[in-house]
Amino acid sequence: MTDEAKEKNPEIVGFACSYCTFKASEMAGSLRMKYPEGVKLIQVPCSSRVDPAFVIKAVFEGADGVFVAGCHPGDCHFIKGNYYTRRKIVALKEMFDAFSMKEKLRLFWVSAAEARRFIDKVTTFYNDIKEKKNEREKA
Amino acid sequence: MKTGIFICHCGHNIKHTVDVKKLSEYFKKFPNVTVSQDYVFVCSEPGQDMIKEAIEKEGLDRVIIASCTPSLHGEMFKDVLKKADLNPFLLRRVSIREHCSWVGDDIEANTEKAKRYILAGLYSSAHHVPLEEKIVEVEKSALIIGGGVSGLSAALFLSKMGMQVYLVEKEAELGGHVRALKNVWPSGRDGKSIVDEMVAELQSRNNVEIFTSTTIGGFEGFFGNYEVKLDTPEGQRKVIAGGAIIAIGFSPFDPSIKPELGYGYDKRVITTLEFEQNVDQLQLPENPRVAILHCVGSRDDQLGKPYCSRVCCVNALRVGDALKSRYKDSYVESFYMDVRAHPKGGEEFFEDTQEKGVLFTRANVAEITPTPTGVVVRGEDTLFGEIFERRFDLVVLSIGMSPPEDSKLIANLLKITLDKDQFFLEAHIKLRPFDTAVKGIFIAGSCSGPKDVEESINHGRASAVKLFGFLNLGYAYVDPFISWVDPKRCSGCRMCEQACVAKAIKYDEEKRIVRVEEAACMGCGLCNATCPSSAIILKGYIDRMIDDEISAFMEAI
Amino acid sequence: MKGKKLKTGEIENALNRFLKDEQHLVLGFKKDESGVSHHIFKGSLDHYSLLNPVFGANAALYLRRLFSKGSQVMLMLRPCEIRACVELNKLTQIEREDIIAVSIDCPGTVSSKEKKEEVPAELHELNDYFKNKDSMRWACSVCGEKRAVVGDAGIRIDEKGNYWAIPYTEKGEVLLSLIDGEPEEVPAELLAAKEQKKDKFQVDMEIFNKDFEKCIMCMNCRDMCPVCYCIDCVFNGDEYLPKGDALLNKVFRIGSVKMPRGKDLFHFIRMYHVSQTCVGCGACEEACPQGIPLTKYFKGVSERLQDIFSYMSGRSFDEPIPYVTFLEDELKDATD
Repeated sequence: MTDEAKEKNPEIVGFACSYCTFKASEMAGSLRMKYPEGVKLIQVPCSSRVDPAFVIKAVFEGADGVFVAGCHPGDCHFIKGNYYTRRKIVALKEMFDAFSMKEKLRLFWVSAAEARRFIDKVTTFYNDIKEKKNEREKA
Repeated sequence: MKTGIFICHCGHNIKHTVDVKKLSEYFKKFPNVTVSQDYVFVCSEPGQDMIKEAIEKEGLDRVIIASCTPSLHGEMFKDVLKKADLNPFLLRRVSIREHCSWVGDDIEANTEKAKRYILAGLYSSAHHVPLEEKIVEVEKSALIIGGGVSGLSAALFLSKMGMQVYLVEKEAELGGHVRALKNVWPSGRDGKSIVDEMVAELQSRNNVEIFTSTTIGGFEGFFGNYEVKLDTPEGQRKVIAGGAIIAIGFSPFDPSIKPELGYGYDKRVITTLEFEQNVDQLQLPENPRVAILHCVGSRDDQLGKPYCSRVCCVNALRVGDALKSRYKDSYVESFYMDVRAHPKGGEEFFEDTQEKGVLFTRANVAEITPTPTGVVVRGEDTLFGEIFERRFDLVVLSIGMSPPEDSKLIANLLKITLDKDQFFLEAHIKLRPFDTAVKGIFIAGSCSGPKDVEESINHGRASAVKLFGFLNLGYAYVDPFISWVDPKRCSGCRMCEQACVAKAIKYDEEKRIVRVEEAACMGCGLCNATCPSSAIILKGYIDRMIDDEISAFMEAI
Repeated sequence: MKGKKLKTGEIENALNRFLKDEQHLVLGFKKDESGVSHHIFKGSLDHYSLLNPVFGANAALYLRRLFSKGSQVMLMLRPCEIRACVELNKLTQIEREDIIAVSIDCPGTVSSKEKKEEVPAELHELNDYFKNKDSMRWACSVCGEKRAVVGDAGIRIDEKGNYWAIPYTEKGEVLLSLIDGEPEEVPAELLAAKEQKKDKFQVDMEIFNKDFEKCIMCMNCRDMCPVCYCIDCVFNGDEYLPKGDALLNKVFRIGSVKMPRGKDLFHFIRMYHVSQTCVGCGACEEACPQGIPLTKYFKGVSERLQDIFSYMSGRSFDEPIPYVTFLEDELKDATD
């Protein structure tokens, strides 16, 4: 990969809860499904462990996109954790929106069984970010 | 700090798309890295010995194993560290197979990605501290929810192994759906006699308590000591169970959801279950014309049931077989998508049935209309591409299995997960097919997906063996990943206390700070993320570890 | 709603009656030669001033972790200060039993930085003074809630210039009971909420970078923020600050790089931390030696974030802070 290509490829950091999304990502791996190598995961016990400060840090250290992913509402292994995640991340998104960088943050619900959905979500995110990034560079 | 990095080839699984040699060379030049090595199978015995020796010889105080995903071989690698006298929580697993080599094809890109993952592990592991697993006593008793064949077989096994068993059944009678079967394939035995035999044996044992017409009113606690509230007809009972097996079976698919099948208002359209129970009462002409429809309530995306129910093909064959045995000159036509007669002897049974004269037509049946002169079946022959319309005296719907009606309720009570089809989800489909994500809670039988009688009995027994292994030890280790409050940093704002789902945080009025009740803490980390100064931290997932992972991914350290 | 109309000097009388109790204190303003400043009165009032035309700091700052052990403080403060106290109460930094929070209609203030001449402290003079829009602090000029409608009671001023004491809670009745006269219906104009059109705060990173170029990371903004209550801030450690050796590692591995700016992280994370509790008082901006327009950002962002949950910081003692509660059925389009 040339340096130029590297620059054009976005870096995405994802926070994945151990019980749902991380499991889905394991399954996606076992099924040899492909997704862009720019997507890297950080395992957290529950999406509610994700301090918005982590997201902010990732963005300012150069991540082109950050996603937080957990179990579907009602399915949280820790019973209600993801409802708090939802509030926090929605607020953070609003904050990013105020700085015209809403596109950098996404929130997904992916259950342990949804390997396909995991792939779809991260790939779409990656492609959207990549498109924007390259557009900006051209301009 | 002396870190040892061990990079696994996993045979070809990692090596073919990740340059493992380049990685092990790359990490050698890091100041805190004492050993950086790649090896063909780190999980093999020589591989484990290699790690143990390196720890002992080089005095490693951090071990990073870059291999498969952390949920595999977790305990085994921990044991390697324990054997080398190193705290197992100084181990860091990095997934470069499920999250690298298997999900990308470009060797250069994958190597770079694996490098960053290992880098993240390296920086993050610097913040690992020795943690002590807590030992809790395990009650040698098991709760079995559901008294069908899988629940019964699990109960029998555990009881014979000396465990106290509490068997809970919602209905008044044990035996589940099998009790109603007249002729269990392939033995031909009466279902009632199978379950009666099991129930009689169970009732004769003095370490089994059976609760019929009973539901679960509450389920609290943790592995080894679950407190269960049982709502029995005599009032509420509390029992303590070390572990639990869920065997709540399935619901037969109700074909009236699909009005085009004409089921529910004409007695000439029946299900396989009804055929079995009423085969003697069916008023059929001398040479009846019977249609059998496969895959009713299975492999149907529109219904949200895309899965194969696995038992209905054999059930359909059994109907054909029974009809041909009774009425030699009958006309029996089976409309199928694919015939999946997967159990042992199933394929032979399929051929047998064909020889007996059952016709098999690959078809999409669009509509079944009962008329005074017969039941009209309309559809498309998918092999010939022709539309057909035929008249029958009887239509038998080979219904599939739907998830049990109480699956959501039980899942909420026991805090376990359902899969997309609302069956219970296995911890791992291949490696841990009996476990749930919650320690000490297992699933058995068709509540984790359609199974036939034989499979359900086996599944029940297998779950019982797994649970027995856990219970028989008499003690268990509890993950030390719980929250801890730094008393010097806590401002006593009680935000964490308000948010905590497990109600594990208590406010100290004297000191005006909070503390964590360790036994109640679930380890989700919500408090850590809620505290603005991170004065409450989740051990094993502290801010610095995650911050350094981010920085390593972004190459900002 | 009923309240008591205040005769001239009656508020001072009432407070003096309150101060007769050994355990009672009044936190308000004192006017002396050096100007008007926050003052805590014991025994009796002395050079008391109802209003303070200059904003130096938010008084809630002084009340953090002030657990009074049986004494009671009557707070006679600006609405933004009372709102901060309400938030701090939810955060257990101020005990509910210890305070009677009385807000006072605020005509606006002058920045302590720009105070050039003698600013009047009397209401009618102040109103004249602020006819020149530029003389008011920016934070006050955009403040949407100068009305004393928060806390236990409010001192309101009607169109005719009459002062009213209006209780909002049982504790507010304590103040009312100290005032002479009978309660009467409050004029309607004091009850009507002013329709406000708020523009959604919107910038981009270029504007942010330009505005914060001058930041020297002295963290005065944090130190003077009334709702930044942590006794040990995350930014006291080095987690979120650039690390020298780490930077060198990076340079040696991937070549020359841009210097990291820890200040983006600092302001963003702090902005998130105070997003639900920020009252928009502008104390941060007042404390900034570099004149960065912090209020614009902190007030703007927090208003947007509070709106999502229909929350308003300091409006009520009973509303929980949105991050520690949830509804199962909400935020339907939260996910992507």
